[in-house]
Amino acid sequence: MGTALEFVRVSKTFPGTRALSEVSFAVRPGSFHALAGGNGSGKSTLIKILAGVYQADPEGEVRCGGSASAADSVTPSWSHRAGVRFVHQDLGLFDTMTVAENLFVGRRYPRTAGAIAWTAMRRAAQECLDRLRVPVDARTPVGSLRPADQTLVAIARCLFDSAGGEVSLLVLDEPTARLPQAEVDELLSRLDEYAANGQSILYVSHRLDEILEHADTVTVLRDGRHVATRPVAGLDRAQLTGLIVGQQRDLVEKREPRPIAPEVAVTVRGLSGGPLRGIDLDVRRGEILAVAGLVGSGRTSLVETIFGVHRPAGGRVEVNGRRLRPGSVPDAVAAGLAYVPEDRARHAAFTNLGLEMNLSAASLRRYRRGWLRRGPELRDAAEDIRRYSIRAPGPRAALGQLSGGNQQKAILARWLRTRPAVLLLDEPTQGVDVGARAEIYTQIEKAVDGGTSVLLVTSDLDELLHLADRVVVLANGRVTDTARQRDVTREWVATRMFDAPQEIP
Amino acid sequence: MTLSAGTRDDQVQAPHDGAPPPAGRSRRTTAWPLELVERFGLVLLLGGIVVFFCLWPATSDVFPTVANVRNIAANESILVIAALAALIPLVAERFDLSVGAIVATTSIATAKIATEWELPLVLAIAGGVLVGAAIGLVNGFLIAYFNANSLVITLGMSTLLAGIGVLWTGYQTLLGVPQPLLDFGNLSWLGIPRPVWLLAATALAVAFLLGFTMFGRRLLAIGSNEPASRLVGMPVSRTVMLAFACSGAVAGVAGVLLLARTGSAAAGVGTGYTLPALAAIFLGSTTIRPGRFTVAGTLVGVFFVAVSINGLTLAGAEDWVEPVFNGAAVVLAVSAAAVIAKKRKRAAR
Repeated sequence: MGTALEFVRVSKTFPGTRALSEVSFAVRPGSFHALAGGNGSGKSTLIKILAGVYQADPEGEVRCGGSASAADSVTPSWSHRAGVRFVHQDLGLFDTMTVAENLFVGRRYPRTAGAIAWTAMRRAAQECLDRLRVPVDARTPVGSLRPADQTLVAIARCLFDSAGGEVSLLVLDEPTARLPQAEVDELLSRLDEYAANGQSILYVSHRLDEILEHADTVTVLRDGRHVATRPVAGLDRAQLTGLIVGQQRDLVEKREPRPIAPEVAVTVRGLSGGPLRGIDLDVRRGEILAVAGLVGSGRTSLVETIFGVHRPAGGRVEVNGRRLRPGSVPDAVAAGLAYVPEDRARHAAFTNLGLEMNLSAASLRRYRRGWLRRGPELRDAAEDIRRYSIRAPGPRAALGQLSGGNQQKAILARWLRTRPAVLLLDEPTQGVDVGARAEIYTQIEKAVDGGTSVLLVTSDLDELLHLADRVVVLANGRVTDTARQRDVTREWVATRMFDAPQEIP
Repeated sequence: MTLSAGTRDDQVQAPHDGAPPPAGRSRRTTAWPLELVERFGLVLLLGGIVVFFCLWPATSDVFPTVANVRNIAANESILVIAALAALIPLVAERFDLSVGAIVATTSIATAKIATEWELPLVLAIAGGVLVGAAIGLVNGFLIAYFNANSLVITLGMSTLLAGIGVLWTGYQTLLGVPQPLLDFGNLSWLGIPRPVWLLAATALAVAFLLGFTMFGRRLLAIGSNEPASRLVGMPVSRTVMLAFACSGAVAGVAGVLLLARTGSAAAGVGTGYTLPALAAIFLGSTTIRPGRFTVAGTLVGVFFVAVSINGLTLAGAEDWVEPVFNGAAVVLAVSAAAVIAKKRKRAAR
């Protein structure tokens, strides 16, 4: 027997970085094969190459089923013909449509005399579900299913034709990231069955327990290189963590610790709701506290709940001794909180409004003397453009005309104008170029020197090491670890994130 | 997972981040004349139409007279004020399809208060405006706090008000409007029809509200990006609710003016203003500040249609010309606005 999938010396160079270098490994037919790696290890780049979303560098090759393709000419249709099926994190289901309709998306609906044969369609869908032991009725709207069942429906859609042997490989990209723990086990045991029946699975995950308990083989990538492909049997948690994290040196010089005032600016006690399960935190005045955690750990929920975007199920937030009204953004802003969200386009930018209006959006009140004074507003905008080196045609230019990095500087400047007591930053430099990044760091540090406290959520370990005075590790909605700046290393953070207990009894 | 997938890939996908690409600048300068045409196209077209009707033999006798100009301005004042009413919530991307019905209802209310209850005229006028504001408040409350679709709610309100109008008037036409109100509707101050003064005052007030108050700025922000508005601490729901209340009050002003111009109130009179009002706003959104709903644009929109139809009518066009012209203008304007918006989005990318 050959292989279900084989990468041969696949590389991918982006301008300025090499995301993958000469990665080679194979997936055996019928194997439950895990692909693991940390931040920037290249595993999602590899998946995107397999899907034909990215084109790899010329020299490598991808072999799948009976066919082979040069790595730089893999297209979505080649990938589909070769029998590779993907279930992405976003399942791509239509919530208001029934399971049967979802299963037939992209296929010809069965018809009689031109009209859709609903009964035949439902029957075919139900047969497929029964064969794959998906415990749902084909007539149910997908939106009303549990998350695990939705994932199973997405998988069933991929495996619809698998009885005919057309699906050579099922690729699952972090399918459990959004699932509650109880449903994770259900999903995984179903995957075990499929693998036992001969279905090859490539399973991308960062959850070590899942890999150790369910996969038979694991491939580890680190910094775009292939580290190991080996049987899971005989591998323990510590060894796997070691493979993923490696011997990492700190590239940045340790800076001198910042002097931090003893007063506590933010107190979070027992905060819960959504993925949060009782968070306790203190951020002191002039301190940068970084939150490290994997996706699904509740990082974004934590800052959003503190800021009042979600009403917490329990617990409280105090800013300088004042208790915030739960679930009220205006109250949080009034108390001196500021929030730079991760998704700038959806949650922060007024792209069709002028830069001056974007900059004043959080501090409109100060321009009201009887009515809104445009003069001072424009003067302050010109001042901020200079101070934060925002490159723009002028203060009235629409924000959408600016580059991403300059938009991000403007969003940060918007909040710094309010002289916030506490700055909540969610991935503040994601998708921002190196130059703008350095400027953003300088501004954050300046604000901190002025007494602002920062709660920083970031996936970028270098950013975390550069800025943080203290780091807490978040896993499964709880703080599982904490360390001071001088004790924090890349290795510590990476190890703690991956090694955090993932099941809480 | 953002941790592994996010940072590095996103970084390299946007390698040209930082300064805007140099090409953008030069393109912008070469696009100048085109942008000017886009911004003032409708204004120029309006000017062209005026010149045309002044010179065309079929209309050149009557069209350029003072009487005709007064006639157009006074006649359109009700529509302009109704359009300004619809403009306020539209800035926050909410439709008010009940403006016409509110105009009708408030004119009935004012007439009732003045004639049947025999209260002083000032109270009757205030009553009319307040009824408008109250209806708007109900619209706004449902739309803002129940997150209901503004189209459906205001359409429903419109139907409901039509029924109430009939109930109130019992198919009668209310007459006997106090003389001072009739004078206001039909006489002039300083040679300019009094309704035009009201039009100017209302336009200035709405322009001030939208451009120079926190409320107006919030509406603009909500129209631009509603989640972002919430996340800078703006009271989005309250602002939306107040927008409809203001809209209702301004529609109430239009209702009082309708009563003053016609001297009578009857169920159903005034409901026809809704679509021409929205049409004018959309027409106006293609000009001066393309892509944005503005007071100036709305004025241009109303008078573009009014002047055209006036000229055509003077030239002997039949009744069907008006709705055809009005409808065609809207369809073309909204298509043009969509094209502009798409182009803008592409340019921003």
